Amino acid sequence: MASALRPSHLPEMDLQCPTNLGDVFRHISNGAQLLAGGTDILLQASVRGEPNKLVWTGGIESMKEFDADSDFIKVGASVPLSTMIKSNAFRDGAPAVADGAQSVGSLQLRNQATMVGNVCTASPAADTVPGLLIHNCVVATIDKENNKREIALKDFLTGPGKTNLGEGELVTCLSFSRLGKNQMSAYQRFTQREALDLAFASVAARLEFEEDGQTLMTVNLALGAVGPTAIDASAAADILKGHPISEGRLDICADAASQLCSPISDHRASAGYRRQLIRALVGDVVRQAATRYGNKK
Amino acid sequence: MTVVNTIRVNGVDHEIPANWQAKRLLDYLRTELKLVGVKEGCGEGDCGACTVLVDGEPMCSCLLLSGVVGGREVTTIEGLPREYLDKFSSACETHGGVQCGFCTGGVAVMSSWMKNGGTETGVEPVSKLLEGNICRCGGYQQLTNAIADIN
Ligand SMILES: Cc1cc2nc3c(=O)[nH]c(=O)nc-3n(C[C@H](O)[C@H](O)[C@H](O)COP(=O)(O)OP(=O)(O)OC[C@H]3O[C@@H](n4cnc5c(N)ncnc54)[C@H](O)[C@@H]3O)c2cc1C
Ligand code: FES
Ligand code: FES
Repeated sequence: MASALRPSHLPEMDLQCPTNLGDVFRHISNGAQLLAGGTDILLQASVRGEPNKLVWTGGIESMKEFDADSDFIKVGASVPLSTMIKSNAFRDGAPAVADGAQSVGSLQLRNQATMVGNVCTASPAADTVPGLLIHNCVVATIDKENNKREIALKDFLTGPGKTNLGEGELVTCLSFSRLGKNQMSAYQRFTQREALDLAFASVAARLEFEEDGQTLMTVNLALGAVGPTAIDASAAADILKGHPISEGRLDICADAASQLCSPISDHRASAGYRRQLIRALVGDVVRQAATRYGNKK
Repeated sequence: MTVVNTIRVNGVDHEIPANWQAKRLLDYLRTELKLVGVKEGCGEGDCGACTVLVDGEPMCSCLLLSGVVGGREVTTIEGLPREYLDKFSSACETHGGVQCGFCTGGVAVMSSWMKNGGTETGVEPVSKLLEGNICRCGGYQQLTNAIADIN
């Protein structure tokens, strides 16, 4: 290598680019890890010196599927986030998931990074996860014996960096529900700078209104970056049901949500600060979803 | 079985040698093909100095393995039309968009994509599209103005 170059920190690696699933499983048996967009795993390889065997999923035709028009939006494991974001049917059908997708990294990274990669990295701060939770996301998997499973996302994520994928099992696609009639959703996060930064805290909300378009029938809430995995905080929103949105009830809901989370203190933010952020974000996100609903009507 | 490992860079086909398959596209372009207009700022996907177009879409070449780009078309700053580069540089001159110049190659590639109608949602301002290009000299407003001025 030319000496003028700063050396890459990537270890010497073996890369396989198969075009069928059988070969993918064969490489996994030989110790290879899955490579989708690479925006998490290549960084990890530079920092830790491993994995040094990778098998790329981008050559597998069935993993390129993206269907945003059905009642369940379906996205294959090698579809880049930007392909999804460019789809009006996706942005209209799952606004909270789209908000999350649009806040990942930067435009360049979204052309590479996949939603399945975002989920499988299982970072507590993953931006697409809270939206996926309130859109009832199901993770579809397959293993080398061709056994298939469908796992609710909330059961799939088991801890920071941990999923309940078995040995030699991989994710084929994610499915999540489109907004129904009288529904709207939104996701917001708090970061120090707008792009290229990870959430200190984040909230996704899905509202369903009565026919009058004012009274809330159901509210789903999910909190990100304030626990080992994203947290389903829908219980905190019970107080909102059966009433039009009011500041008083929103305050109670925001308080309850901030009690449900278990944030950590680290170099980025203290636990107390994260709790405060949740309080503020819950109100903001519910109001944003309601405004969007009003604009759509 | 391996996916095709020929890539077209700036209009010319290259066989990616086996020992380059699992190395970064950034290093392949700079070292093998001597396309040193592609810069390494951070090597971690943050700065955008290494931005190239892959099948017309901007990506960070520091987070792509060469083998993965097999069968696709890559454009670096060296492959942008001379006429566009002239417009870009005169806009930067007018608006003071270049200081040390390290980020400039990545920004030129990004801006050419924007000028070819590149967008995610169809409504973003230049500043949002430029979110993945960090300029340590701090010339964001100047760069945004320069890009807006190119027709
Ligand atoms: C500069 C920078 C900024 C970032 N900003 C954000 C941000 O703002 N918000 C955010 O949420 N994330 C952010 N990220 C993290 C990252 O971009 C996302 O998590 C991305 O969605 C990962 O997708 P990928 O396709 O690149 O995954 P990869 O890196 O290819 O894979 C991620 C993990 O998933 C596994 N995997 C891949 N495919 C499968 C499969 N089919 N089945 C099972 N496991 C699989 C891999 O083995 C690996 O462990 C950032 C990263 C960088 C470098
Ligand atoms: S060098 Fe690739 S983004 Fe900084
Ligand atoms: S001009 Fe120096 S980094 Fe942008």
